Formats: sequence, C-alpha cells, structure tokens
Amino acid sequence: MNYFLFDKRRKEAWMPSIVLILRTMKITTFLLLVFMTCAYAEGTAQKVSLSLKNAKLDDAFHQISKQTNLKFLYSDDVIAKSSRVSLHVRAKDVEDVLHMMLPEAKYSFKVIAGTVTVNYTDNEVEMKTATDKVLQNRVAGTVRNQNGEPLIGASVSVKGTSVGVQTNADGEFSIATPADATLIVRYVGYETKEVVTNNRQTIAIVLDADDRTIDAVDVVATGYQNIDRKLFTGATSKVDAKDAERAGVPDISRMLEGQAAGVSVQNVSGTFGAAPKIRVRGATSLSGDNKPLWVIDGIILEDVVNISNEALSTGDANTLIGSSVAGLNPNDIESFTILKDAAATAMYGARAMNGVIVVTTKRGIQTDGAPQINYTSTLTTYLKPNYDQFDIMNSGEQMYVLLEMERKGAFAHAGSRNSMNGGIFYKMYNQIYDYDPETDSYTLKNDQASKNQFLKRYAEANTDWFDVLFKNSLLQEHSLSYTSGTAKSQTYASTSYMSDNGQTIGDNVKRFTANLRTNFKLSDKFSGELLFNGSIRDQRTPGTLTRNSDPVFGQYSRDFDINPYSYALNTSRLMTPYDENGDREYFVRNFAPFNILNELDNNYLELGMNELKVQGGVKYKIIPELTYSVDASYRYATTRRKHYIKENSNMIGAYRAHGDDPFIMENNRFLFDRPFAPTELPYVVLPEGGFYNTNSNDMVNYYFRQNLEYDATYHERHRLNVFGSMEVRYTDRQYDSFDGVGYQYENSGIVNPDYKYFERAQLLINPYFGMGYTKDRYAAFMMRAAYAFADKYSVNFTTRYDGSNLMGESRTARWLPTWNLSGAWDIDQESFFNQDAWFLSGARIRGTYGLVASLGNARNSDVLYNSRLTYRPTELDKETLVAISSLENSGLTWEKLYEMNIGADLGLFNNKVDLTVDVYKRDIFDLIGTVTTSGIGGQFRKVGNYGTMSGKGIEMTIGGTPVRNDNFRWRTSLNYAINKNEITELEVNPNQWTLIRAEGGPLQGYAQRGLFSIQFDGLDPDYGFPTFISQTGDENVTRIDFQSTSVDYLKYHGPVDPTFTGGFYNQLGYKDFTLSFLFNFAFGNYVRLQPTFTPYLADDVVMTRDLVNRWMVPGDERFTTIPTILDPLVSETFMDDDPRYSYYAYNYSDERVAKGDFIRLKNISLSYRVPKQVTDRLRMRSLDLALVGNNVALLYSDKKLNGADPEFFGNGGVALPIPRQYTFSLKVGF
Amino acid sequence: MKNTDKYKVIIVSLLSVMIAGCSKYLDVIPDMRTEINTVEKVGQLLVTAYPQYDYLVFTELASDNSVDKGPGVGNLNDIARDSYFWDEVMQTTGNNAPNTYWNAAYTAIAAANQAIEAINENDFGDQGEQYRGEALLARAYAHHMLVSIFAKTYQINGDNSSPGIPYVTEPEKTVFKQYERGTVASVYENIERDLLDGLNLIRGLTFKATKFHFNVQAANAFAARFYLFKGEYDKVVQYANAIFPDNNYKENLRPIATTLRTVEFASASLEYMNSERSYNLLLANVFSSMANIAGQGRYGLGVIGQAMLNSTTVAGKHFYQRYGTWGDNQASVTKYPGLFFVTNPLSNIGYNYTIQCLFSTDEALINRAEAYINLGRYDLALRDLNDFAEVRIQDYNSNAHKVTEAKVLSFYETTDIKEGLIQTVLDFKQRAFMHEGIRWFDINRHGIEIQHNHIDANGFETFEVLVQDDLRRVFQLPESVGTSGLEKNPR
Repeated sequence: MNYFLFDKRRKEAWMPSIVLILRTMKITTFLLLVFMTCAYAEGTAQKVSLSLKNAKLDDAFHQISKQTNLKFLYSDDVIAKSSRVSLHVRAKDVEDVLHMMLPEAKYSFKVIAGTVTVNYTDNEVEMKTATDKVLQNRVAGTVRNQNGEPLIGASVSVKGTSVGVQTNADGEFSIATPADATLIVRYVGYETKEVVTNNRQTIAIVLDADDRTIDAVDVVATGYQNIDRKLFTGATSKVDAKDAERAGVPDISRMLEGQAAGVSVQNVSGTFGAAPKIRVRGATSLSGDNKPLWVIDGIILEDVVNISNEALSTGDANTLIGSSVAGLNPNDIESFTILKDAAATAMYGARAMNGVIVVTTKRGIQTDGAPQINYTSTLTTYLKPNYDQFDIMNSGEQMYVLLEMERKGAFAHAGSRNSMNGGIFYKMYNQIYDYDPETDSYTLKNDQASKNQFLKRYAEANTDWFDVLFKNSLLQEHSLSYTSGTAKSQTYASTSYMSDNGQTIGDNVKRFTANLRTNFKLSDKFSGELLFNGSIRDQRTPGTLTRNSDPVFGQYSRDFDINPYSYALNTSRLMTPYDENGDREYFVRNFAPFNILNELDNNYLELGMNELKVQGGVKYKIIPELTYSVDASYRYATTRRKHYIKENSNMIGAYRAHGDDPFIMENNRFLFDRPFAPTELPYVVLPEGGFYNTNSNDMVNYYFRQNLEYDATYHERHRLNVFGSMEVRYTDRQYDSFDGVGYQYENSGIVNPDYKYFERAQLLINPYFGMGYTKDRYAAFMMRAAYAFADKYSVNFTTRYDGSNLMGESRTARWLPTWNLSGAWDIDQESFFNQDAWFLSGARIRGTYGLVASLGNARNSDVLYNSRLTYRPTELDKETLVAISSLENSGLTWEKLYEMNIGADLGLFNNKVDLTVDVYKRDIFDLIGTVTTSGIGGQFRKVGNYGTMSGKGIEMTIGGTPVRNDNFRWRTSLNYAINKNEITELEVNPNQWTLIRAEGGPLQGYAQRGLFSIQFDGLDPDYGFPTFISQTGDENVTRIDFQSTSVDYLKYHGPVDPTFTGGFYNQLGYKDFTLSFLFNFAFGNYVRLQPTFTPYLADDVVMTRDLVNRWMVPGDERFTTIPTILDPLVSETFMDDDPRYSYYAYNYSDERVAKGDFIRLKNISLSYRVPKQVTDRLRMRSLDLALVGNNVALLYSDKKLNGADPEFFGNGGVALPIPRQYTFSLKVGF
Repeated sequence: MKNTDKYKVIIVSLLSVMIAGCSKYLDVIPDMRTEINTVEKVGQLLVTAYPQYDYLVFTELASDNSVDKGPGVGNLNDIARDSYFWDEVMQTTGNNAPNTYWNAAYTAIAAANQAIEAINENDFGDQGEQYRGEALLARAYAHHMLVSIFAKTYQINGDNSSPGIPYVTEPEKTVFKQYERGTVASVYENIERDLLDGLNLIRGLTFKATKFHFNVQAANAFAARFYLFKGEYDKVVQYANAIFPDNNYKENLRPIATTLRTVEFASASLEYMNSERSYNLLLANVFSSMANIAGQGRYGLGVIGQAMLNSTTVAGKHFYQRYGTWGDNQASVTKYPGLFFVTNPLSNIGYNYTIQCLFSTDEALINRAEAYINLGRYDLALRDLNDFAEVRIQDYNSNAHKVTEAKVLSFYETTDIKEGLIQTVLDFKQRAFMHEGIRWFDINRHGIEIQHNHIDANGFETFEVLVQDDLRRVFQLPESVGTSGLEKNPR
C-alpha cells in the first residue's frame, strides 16, 4: 500500500484539504499527478529541521512533509524493512537529511516536482543480475485509470528487483524485464496491481481506484478554519456526502438521519421544504428555537423565517420555507461536519449552543484544463399508503355501525338536514324531502327498500381514499456538473433540476439550482475564490390556513383542511368521490358542497422561492507563517405564497352558505352577525368572487469576516496556531400578507368586494393586510490559540466576544464573552504505546470545558411597547394605544451553557475499526423563562433569565472496514447516543393545555419538553362517556379546565424527544456491486395519538376498529376504555358539561399516548459500476447504476400507533408523512 | 517573536477600533417595536394608564349587594364564592380576581410612569406637560383604588399608620425590585400631590375619546371622591362644583327612570356606558366577565337584592332599576354590556370585556351631598339628594317624592338629622350604584356591619357578620408580593 502524505499548511480555508477531494473524487488524482510532473522543482532548495529519536521512518517523512512542500511516495517495504531513525538536524537541505536517514546501500530516492520517490533496494547483486536480463527484453505500455485517463508518474517496477520506471505525461512507460516477469504498478489513490508480462511487448494496464485512499480524519472543517486534527480537540462527527447519499431525497437536511451520533433528525413532516426537527445533543432552551446552526462553506446560513423546532410540526404554510438548506443540490455537497461539544463549537461562541452543522460543497479540481462532466439522474416513484397499515373500518363495517346509530335516532331528518357537515345520511334525508312538483314525486321514496337501495351503493363502495388522492408519480432529479482546472485556477459548476409530481394529487414541486465555484491563485501569496449559488423553487400544495388553538375546549383545529393524508385517514370510506355517472359527487362541509377532488383543484397554494448567494474570499500570506484573509457573502432570498381560493371551492361556498335557513344563519361562522344590531340577521360578506391571498417573506443577508492566522512550528516539536477573526452579520427580514378579497377568477379577474367584508374585518380588528420586518445586526470577535507539543499533547483556548442588537438598546446586555479550554493527549504517540498492536492500534483522549451561549427569545433589555387598537364597541371611542409589552429587564443576558466533554478516539485492529466515545455533562443556565413577580412594577409575569436545565449524554460511533480484499469489501458504522435533560428550575408552570399537547411542554423536574396527560378515570357506568381526574384531584369529572396551571394531577409519560437515537450503516461490496443499507432508530420518547375522538357522531368521519370495542351497554366500562358514541339525548340530559370537554379531554388523556420508539430500515441501495471495458466503448469515464429504496420499512414501533408513523405529527395543513419511495439512479462521467 | 508582537499590536488596535464601530452598528432597532418619541405616542401610551381589569366582582360579592341563593342555583364561580365568604380569593389569574386588579392597577401606573419618564427625557413642549398631568392623575387614581381595596380604609382624623400599598413613581427596570408599603397616610399624601399637580397640568388637553381619559370633569370628580374619602369636605364641594360650573347637575344625571328605562333592552347597557352621554365622566374598557357572573351565579343579586331595589326609599317610592332575570332567583342590573373581542374569528375565541364607568355625574353629585351634610349645609344636601332621586323615580312627583328633613327623621327612625341624611346618602348610593363596586367602599368608610347568609346542602341557612374592625375588610395582597419584600395583610 502506498501512503501519500500532505503538507498541512496547504489545508487552509481557501484550499480545503486535497484529502477531502480525494476521498470522494478519484479522478482528482489526475490533478495531483499534473502537480508532480509539471510543477517546477523546488524541493531541493528547502531546509528542514528535525529532532527524531527512535522514530518510525514514515513519521520522519511526515515531519519533512510538514516542513516542506514535499510529498513522499514509497512502497510498503520501504517502511516494513526500515529501522527506526534518530536524527537531530537544524535547517539542513532536505536531500542531505534524506541521505542521513536513508543509508545509500539500502535506499534510493529521487525528488521530482515536489515528490520524493523512495525505493528500497534489497540486494544490489540481484539488481545487477536483473539489469543484465532487462537488456534482453523490453516491455512498453500505458497505465490508465478506469476512466481511460493516463496516469502520469505511476511507478512500474519488476517484481523481485529494484528496477523501476515512472510513466510519462501520456501514461506511457518502457521497462526492461525478463520475458516472464511480473510488473508491479503503483499509483497513489489506486490499488496496486501485479501484471505478468507473458512475453508481451506492449501492455495496457488499468488501475482501479482505491476507495480507502487517504484517511481523512486529518483535517477538521470548522467553517472558520480547516484545522489539523492534531491541533483540534473537540468532539465532531464527519459525514461524507458519498456515504450519506440518499438518491431520491432532494433535501440535504435528511442526509444526516442516522449518520452521526448525537444528531437526532425527526421527520415531523415529509413535505419538501419543511425542515426535519434536528437536534444536536438534545434541546438546550426552554423558549428558543433549539435549531442547530447551519454553516455553508464557512458562512452562517440564516433562516428566511424563524420557525422553532416545535412549530415545524404545525403543518402551517410557513413550514414550507422552514428548511434553510432546501435550496441546495445534494450532488454539490462534499461533506458535513457536525460540531458537537463546546470545544468544537467555541468558535461560534454565542450562537453555538445547539450545535453547528458545517457543510462543505464541492470545488473545482486540477484537471490540467481538461473538462470533466458528471451527470446524475434519479427517477423515484412513491408507494401509496394503504389502509392495511391502519386499523380503519371498511365501508361495510362502518355502515353496520351507522345503521345502528340511525335506529337510535342519530340521523333523523331534522338533525341531518341542517348539519354543518354531512355524508350519506345527510344526502339520503335530503333526497327523501326533495319534492319535484312536476312529477309529484320525491327524489327518494321514504320506504325502507328505497333507503336500503340508496345506502347499498355506499356500503359497497369501500372507497380507497389513498388510491384516489395519492399517486405513484415520478420524482426526477437531474444534476449536471462540470469541473475543470489548472494549477492556478479551478472551477466547479453545476446545475440541477428536480421535479416532483407529488405524492398526492394536490402537491408538486420543482427546483432549479445553479452553483459556480472558482478558486484561483494569483501568486504563491495571494489566492481567492468566488462562489455563486442560486436556486428557484416552485411548489404547489393544498390550500391551508393557520392552525387554531382552542384552549377552552382543548382542541386544535384548522378550518377547511384539505390535507390529502388527513382526509384519507379521517374520511368515511362509505363516501365516494364519483357518483354513478362518473361525475364528482358532493357531500356537505361547512354548509356548502364539498368534494375533495374539486377542492384540491380550487383551493391551493403556490409557493415560489428564489435565492441567490454570492460569496467571495481572498487570502494573502503576509509572511509564510501569517495569513490574512477576508470572506464575504451576500444572500437574497425571496419567497411568495399565493393562496388561490376559487369561486367553486368549498371555502367560498361556506362564506356564501346562507340558504335563508335560520339554522344555517345562526351556525355558519362565516356569516357576519353585526354586534349591537340585535334585530339584524347574519349576512354574507363575500357575495362575489373568491380570495387571492398572498404572503411573502424576504430576506437580505450580508456577511463579512476578516481573519488573521498565524501558524508556526518552533524547534520542531512546538506547533502554534493562532487564529483571530472579526465578523459582522446583517440580516433584514420582511414579511407581508394580503387578503385579496372578492377576486373573481371566473370573470377575468375583476375585483368587486363588498364593503361588509371590511366592516366585519374592522369590527373584529382583523386587518386584511399586514407587513412587518426584523433587523438582525451581529458582530463578533474571536480568537483561537492552539498549541501542540511533539504531536502528543495539544491545548486549545478559544474566546469570543459576541454582540447583537436583538436584545434591545441596552449596551450591557448586547455583548457577551464566551470561552473554552480543551486539550488532547495522543497516547499512541508515546514511546510506550505499541502502534502495531493487534487490538489497540491508536488512542487519543480529549477533554474540554467551556461556555457557549445562544440568544434567547427575549428582546426586553429595554422597555418594549407595542401598538394596537383599543377594544371598545364603537368606532367613535376607538383609539390607538401603546401598551407596555414588557418592562425593561436591565439584567437580560444570553442563554448559556457550561459543557464538560470527555472523549476518546481509538483505533482498533490495526486501525481497521475506529471507535469514538464522548461523554458530556451540561449545565444550562440563564434560560429565558417566565417568573412571577409582585406585579408592582406593572408586569406580573416577566421574562427573565431564570430557567436552568441540566443535560448529560453519551455518544458512541464504531465503524471501519473490517474486511477488505480484492473482491469483497465491508464497511460498517454503528452510532448511537443517549441524551437526557431535565429542567432544574422553571418558576412558572405552563397551563395544562401547553403540557398535554403533542409537542409537549416544559415543567420543572421533567424533560425540556415532556408529554403529560389528563388522567383517564374510567367510562361513566351508565352512559359510557369518559371521565377524568380534574386539575384539583376530583374524580369522575367530565370537564377539565385546560387553562389551569395546577398540574399536580397530570400524568407524566416522558420526553417528546427521543433519549436514545442512532443509526447502523453497512456497505458491502463485491467486485462491481455495492449493497448498502441504513437502519435508524430512536427510543425513549412518547407520542400523542391523533386526537380523533369527538362527541358528535358524524356520517362523514371514518371510524377505527377501536370503536368496535367501544362502550355499548352498562357494564362494558369494566372491559373497555373506548368511550361510547354519544347519544345526543345523553349529552343534553345526563352530562353536567358540554360533552366536547370530556371527549376532547379523552384525546389528551393517558389512554391516547404511545411510545415513540422505532427501528426503521431507512435506506437500502444496490449499485453497480459498469466495467471499464463497457464504458470505454461508450466513451464514458464512468457509469454507475443504482436502485435505492428510501424509508423502506418501519421494523418496530408501538402497536398502539396502529401503523401510524411515530415521527409524523399529522397536523394536516401542508404536512405529509415521509413517503416510501423507490429510486433508480444513474451517474455518468465524461 | 518580535514579528508576533508587532502583529499582536496590530490586531489589538484593529479590534478596538472595530468594537467602537460595532456599537453604533448594533444600535439598530431589531423589530417594529413602538418607541415613545413623539408627544402623540405619549398620549397613546396613556390610553393604557387606566386599569384594564375591574374590581367589580369581588367588591360587589363581598358587599351586602349579594346573597347566597342556595345550592344548585346558577354557576359556581370561584372568585364570587371566595369573595362572598370573605375568604382569600384562591383564583389568582383571569378576569375579575383581586390579584388581577392589583396587577392591572400597577400596569396602569407603569404606563403612567413610562410616559412621565419619556416626557422628562424628551422635549415634548406644552402638550407634554399636559400629558404629564394626565399621567399623574391616572397614577393617583390607580393608587387610590389600590389603597382602598388592599389597605385599611383611611380614617378621617384618625390613625392612618397602618400599611399602605407601594406608591410607585418610576419605571421598574429589574426583574425583582424591592418596594415598601408605606402607610395609608403616606399613600394619601402621594395621591394628593399627584392629583393636584395633575389637575393643574391637564387644562386644555383634548382627546379623541374624551370619556376614556382624565378630562377636566373626570379629574374634578376624582378629586371630589378623594377628598370625601379623606374628610376634607369643603374641597369636595369645591371640586364637585368645578365639574359643572353652572351647577346644572340635574340635567346631566343618568336618566334612569326615563331614557334608560325605555331604550331597547339589548341596547340598554350600551346606553348606560355611552361615551356621548354627559352622565359618564370617565369610562374604561375592562376585561371582565362581570356581565355574566354578577347575575348568573349562586352568589349575587338574588330575590333579596331585587326586593331591596324595589323597596320604598325615604323619597316615598322605590328607585327604578332596570335588571334582567334568568329565573331561579337570578338577576343582574343591565349596566354592563357583555362584549367580546374576537381574536380568532374562525374558532370564535377571544376576550370578554365590558365598559365600566369609573366616575359618573351621579356619584359626584351624591358625594357633594355627603360633603354638605358633613359641613352642616343640610339644605344644600337635600337639594342634591332630591335631584338625585328625581331622575330615579318613575313618574316623579315633587310633591309626593321630595325628600325632606322630616321624612328623613321618620324614615330612619332617628332624631339626628345628620345621621338620617347620611343614611339617606348611603341608601341612595347602594341602590343607584348597584354592581358598580361603590357600596364596598361605603361599607368600609362608614364601618357598616353587614351580614351574609349561607345555605347548606339541606337548605339550612346560617349568617355571618362582617364586624366593624374585621380584618377581612381588606383584600389580601397577591402571594408573590414577597418577591418585592412586602408583608401580606394580617388575617
């Protein structure tokens, strides 16, 4: 095996490690070759200082490499047969030093173009003999890679001799050999090959790329610096895009699933653009966003809208722009580095509390000007969900229940005809009363036979709503990249197109991305780069309004929700989308006709998002040790949501449903009942047209940073790296909303709204448009000093001083210093450590302690006012008021965290397997929380830094390549993390409603977000409705005060975030085939089941098979906990309170909680690399084919979930679960 | 190392220059927060210098305007129940709780103090000074309500060294600040100072919604009430006279027996609180469930209350009072419109609120009458009392219904005319200001002993008396006042 060692000083922000490139792009080697052959020779002029005692030869090479620009090329036997080196030189020529190290009798070396080729000579005599022989026979040939590119400078030697040559610029060689010799061909980054000459005169040799090439742990990308790992002492996880590749998943945030210990990714919604809930080492804030910081190519990525991790699950339309990285093309990603502990994130100081994800994108390579083109295409199809996964009644079963209910009088004409929502019984009764005077008959005869006939069609319908609303449609991604470069400048350009026809008939999305990155070097001292990145997204989703919370009855609702997944899961399978004639069949919702297909056509959202980022940087070497650099970027993102609500939609129908029917007028919320006009009937405020509602969110972001880095080695053993940086960030966000009332889609877009709409809006202080903005200003100074002694001990100190305008005008609150101290001990560098030991072959211990922080969700370092209008009944008295929304809190400060982390990196089995373990403990304090004051200052509940939390956890990653031979490779990685947190101080209890909701709530003594339940206290023995233990401890209560803050009688289940997460990745390679699969798992959290119970039996709502076991007759309460379908008579007569209290409380009781544990086969992929012979004929560099399954199977989850996805909240709106999908992927290189 | 030193110097000097530059950069206001940078905004801030919650439920329920209607009647409201039992009100949040009023009054005070601070820090000219007057009045008013509810009643010519309530004159800037209660006397001194300063300053100030601010009339009505409580009766007369310099009180009283009797029922309460009527001197929009609790609860205005309202007065006839009944012994005077501000029109969630009259012409008039009595001007007192009665008696006939000294002495079976007239005032006030919270203050000012009935599950009735020096005449301070170093009231 060959080793290829690099000069560390090359690894700087501008020219991130060549190593990185090599890891993913084999073709890069080509570039290195060019370096070797074309670059002017400078090696001999270089001086080195060495102080080695009993060092291994490769360590000596390593040292020289570090001090010079020389690379070493040598074969295994050079090392294997070498003795240890002891040497002490100061500022000597490299060649002299090499002569001293390498006795001439045994070694020879050549320095060509910055590369030192070292050869071992076993036996001089033998060589001579061999040399004699070669004179008689000469073999010529070429060495190429699989793509047919010549490998320049490959070494070709005759086995058993020291005869060797190197290939020329065309990859050609000529060597004298015996007729039946074996040639050994070596080239860096490729697998060594032995070729028997067999009397041939010319031989074409093709080398296979070596996937293992270089161990990339050498360098850590922190976003600010690419630091030599020897000098870096923090806990990080690196995920290579190649390993995390998820063909068919266009959002890169999902690539991290199951890949890194301590990074939990929960897919609360699978809709494109909706971010998953990502937590690095768990949550740290009670009120903040708890989102990790994304850093793309060294620049912090700001979110267009700040949506907290919890709000991501609401299904509201703004979650579509929740993922700030959705505009990136996964094919442009090189790697992710997750900075986890305080030492790793210290450079981000007061924004680092939730961890940092550093994304490195691809960059151009040295191709000697030759263009390289890669094309990647994926074609994905979705699997429709089906009812087998869920425990839902079929239409026959449900009809049976409904008929029983009808016998009990549930669907009598009077009740059905006027109901707000209606299914088949509604329809039946209306037809019975629909008199046609011409024929003197009713549409449906009121006799049992006719009724049975009418119902029969529906009983047999067994509508598969999933089939109606979901598609197996096509998601296609095409990505084209171009790279080309010379020694002085390299370019990477790419563009991609993604088109998703959508899981459902209501959604689709298209995305275009463009990316251009150029690196240039004007001189040895001056280099720079320029980066352009743009993306355009066009997305359509079903129309949705914002979710409403009703804290009185304890219910979330969303008006006019037409989310296809929710619809399919909640709608009676008796109902049919089409009638007998094949026309769309309408039922009734909100007093207006409703057909889901019609609604999806007439009520939809279009989201447009355009983003442009321009980034540039220059770097100047003032002296060899001191580099000054500047990075700057400009990013502009604009999003626009257009909500089309056309005249034919149910929503508009509801606004117009009046029907001259007092019942409808009284109950239709969309009519306007003018207050203080007691004699007036409610009236329609939207007589014409529909709505064209728009929202936009725009962001402008500037970033500027200048850095000064000092890097030097003193007396060979002392390495010092000091990095200072100063940065400013500037982000302006603006949003607006506009209700386009009365837009007439059917009449060439004329607008003729009724003044009454505005009258209603005015009286309700419900503005029809709005605009707002926020301005973030941020400045920071940072300094990091790293010192390493003899590569054994390293110490790091980082300090940072952050300032932000967000806390208000106070000059004391806005600045915060943070610091971190860390160290590492490379035990394997000690003389007592045996690096060749079979079991433990490498060991490093790390430790850190320090402070990081985060801006909390409070802005009141100065008194805060906001304006609104007074609540007064007449226009005459209305005034604008300015209210104190928060008094000054002069002591306001940032949320902070002290972290202690101890970690170990071990190499096992000759470094074939790596094991990384980290243990940490966190004291989180100054958390923004609510406190109760005396109220005398004017604010009874204040927001201040009064919460504290503790966190602790263990992370472990074990991985490597245990088996590897010519034909078979096995790479594996298992990671898992345990994270637990507890609120140690939080003065004010949130109300019950906050604690029992699916997103969980904070309470002292429990997890950051705990799931609590109302205690179910059995079914009423006489009537079968559910009863509970009240907030005051009373039993058999039917009404719970959800707003009560007395929480003693709530039951605690556990955290809503998993405490144990991880992934298990395997890659098996056999010849040209590779099979990989990824499992991910999470345990320890609890989820709330969908709130499906309601007191009112409706004929349009699906029933679960649970209901078969419902309470039916007195005595059943001993066997079942499923409440009865409530008889309206019972609720009116025998229940003390509105039955909604009790049934909605049941949804939030301990009966409706399941464990969130799961094991999932997340990804499986089978790929095939087409052999060289074939691609050559096709004039391709490479051709890879793969079949990929994503989200393949949920292997384990709580049975109570009935097949529902434990990660998916199912809140309707734009949220859809992560689909099961299969992808064909094709990659071609030219 | 020399080089490094040089560079260190460069770095340090570079950074210090930049830190200085950054401070300005970070002065940018991060959001659309309002800043009090114009005199108009001072005025808008003062819209919130009036308590936005009310004291009606707990004061009415603690007074003798309420009865226990028995088990199973009406809703059970915890605040109403605890207040009726003269217990500490356990519910500390939400509409109508004493704690809520405590907080609301101090929130109003905070708005006034922030306004004053803004006026001090800016040059807002004459109008700024006028707004300072409004702020001082609002601050004095809120403190006066607090001291009347949460501290012992002011003893005219007596000992007022019992603990008062913190008198706050500057914005609070830390999360937990320490305060002192001072004494009732010191609180009254502070109120008086602010009141007089405020009265001087507000002259000429105009408002968009005049009746929702301390206009000159309202300020004088406040002064009249304050000096009545303080026992400086000539000043009561002085300020009451200043409200209607032409002394045309009678035509500005609530037309109880006429317009307010005949207006459409659904609009009656709105007419009561109509800002265009001269009988309303100061109105406030308050978050309150008073409209529902007062009438529909188990404790409240029951048949006994109705009987009292319908009983004959010293004038010879009962005062007309419009009220709604819900059957089952439940009734509520139709004074408070049950308003609802919808925050979410689709799910119909919002806030209950109503309009409360803080100062009325009627109260100013009867306060003057009480002052006249104490000044020995019984003739003038009787004139005011007759004006007061005239608008309240349906089909008023001055011959039949005129209150005279003789009628007073016989009606109240007393020989002391002063005593009789005082009784007249208190009786008139109880009837006229039913559900306006005023009765509670009269009970305490005059040390009236009242009793509450209690009906147990078996219908057995017992009575409890609130004696003259009962500690429960003072509502309890919120539990959390300890965080500001305050002692709660003794029990």
